[in-house]
Amino acid sequence: MPEDMIYLDYAASTPVDAEVAALMHECHTESFANPSSNHAAGLRSQALIATAEEQLASLLNAGPRTLIWTSGATESDNLAILGAARYRANRGKHVVTMRTEHKAVTDAFSQLEQEGFDVTWLMPDDKGRLDPASFADALRADTQLASIMYVNNETGVVQDIEALGAICREHDVLMHVDAAQAVGKLPIDLQVLPVDLLSLTGHKFYGPKGIGALYIADRPGCHVEPLFFGGGQQRRLRPGTLPADLIAGLGLAADIAAARMHDDHAVLTDLRDTLWHGIRDVDGIMINGDWETGFPGILNVSVAGIDGESLLLALEPLCVATGSACNSQIQEPSYVLRALGRSDDLAQSSIRFSVGRPTTLAEVEFAAQRYVDAVSRLRALAPMAAA
Amino acid sequence: MSADPYNATVRELFANPRHGGDLANAVVAEVAQQGVRLRLAASEAGGRIESLRFLAHGCPHVIAACEQFCRTFEGGPTAAIDGFRAADIMCDLSVPVEKTGRILVLEDAVRLLGREISAAAAT
Repeated sequence: MPEDMIYLDYAASTPVDAEVAALMHECHTESFANPSSNHAAGLRSQALIATAEEQLASLLNAGPRTLIWTSGATESDNLAILGAARYRANRGKHVVTMRTEHKAVTDAFSQLEQEGFDVTWLMPDDKGRLDPASFADALRADTQLASIMYVNNETGVVQDIEALGAICREHDVLMHVDAAQAVGKLPIDLQVLPVDLLSLTGHKFYGPKGIGALYIADRPGCHVEPLFFGGGQQRRLRPGTLPADLIAGLGLAADIAAARMHDDHAVLTDLRDTLWHGIRDVDGIMINGDWETGFPGILNVSVAGIDGESLLLALEPLCVATGSACNSQIQEPSYVLRALGRSDDLAQSSIRFSVGRPTTLAEVEFAAQRYVDAVSRLRALAPMAAA
Repeated sequence: MSADPYNATVRELFANPRHGGDLANAVVAEVAQQGVRLRLAASEAGGRIESLRFLAHGCPHVIAACEQFCRTFEGGPTAAIDGFRAADIMCDLSVPVEKTGRILVLEDAVRLLGREISAAAAT
């Protein structure tokens, strides 16, 4: 990261861990053979993939032959949602998800609507949480699939996946979880957690971009139809030459995450708390999400009367995310925050700070002061402030 | 990959909005459209704009455009503001086409300011 930037956007992407990068470099030059080739070099690539599968399975406590490599969480979400719904369409065409899911999920469900599926879109409470009782009420006799994300990418809200999954099991509904923001950061035990399909991606936990995985539980009725065809790799569910370098990198990142998870969580909590302590006195500031149970790597805040895009520029050299789409003619506020009941004004002024392993205390202290100053400056320029 | 959405002029104007603020006993024009809220204030004497100030709630291009307008027309003949065209500023600031409407809000505010100044002079 250049010295003139302070990166606080780890929910968008993380740097590749140095050990992971070194392993991948070795793969690029020494273990580049096609893993489908049955010669010594190909077998070497196969071995790398096998090791990575063990490492990721260990992180998730997933059973053997339950992981499918994909290009990332978007593909995993699509394969899980479209694949499972289509596979079970002859049993029923009702599916359930939330309005606050990632676009990779909501757009896949919109595609299902185009295909004639009946989608129930659930709303969260004002902190972003899904009430398990409301979830249970939404399930019907013809419901085949539900998809609820583990950690919300904008707000850090953590859903009660254990309770929601248990409800799905009671109703013989497949439970998909987009865990892109959770894997490697929160403990996930798939021998305990009642989840059938789980999406993840490498670059959210210090692995490479372009590689992810879909967990498919080994239980009756849990299957997906493929989206791609050709080659027959990965039990024909996701054919194509496997990128051994990326997979090895993701595997090692999973191994490192397993070792560091507890300590990382404690450090992220301290950083988040310091950041909030520095900005909490800004007039009218509010947290978007659930402070008590949310993932500590993400702090999403809004203030009234501030343009989000201007705030983003005023915050430089901070690299943070805003809740508005700045490239549209009329600014579109975050649909996630709108679902939490935030006004357009509050939603489009939101800023998501997300901290990671490289973040320092000095950086979050600087960020907090920068935010206080930027809000003050823009408020002084705004017509309402002068009124 | 997209380049920096703000050119050097926008960055300079946004970072140094020295005309940001209000004026006492001034002619005022206020417009609110498309999520943009603008307030222009002008003091005029002897057919010249003595001072211009702006308050703006909008994106960086809007704030930069307001500052550019004030720098350009402050101290000049009052009649000159009738010649203000948003298109000229949009070119200087490399405003993306999807933000055209927001900069046109400034043009509306300037037109209104011109009318208010004329009305004040007539009374």
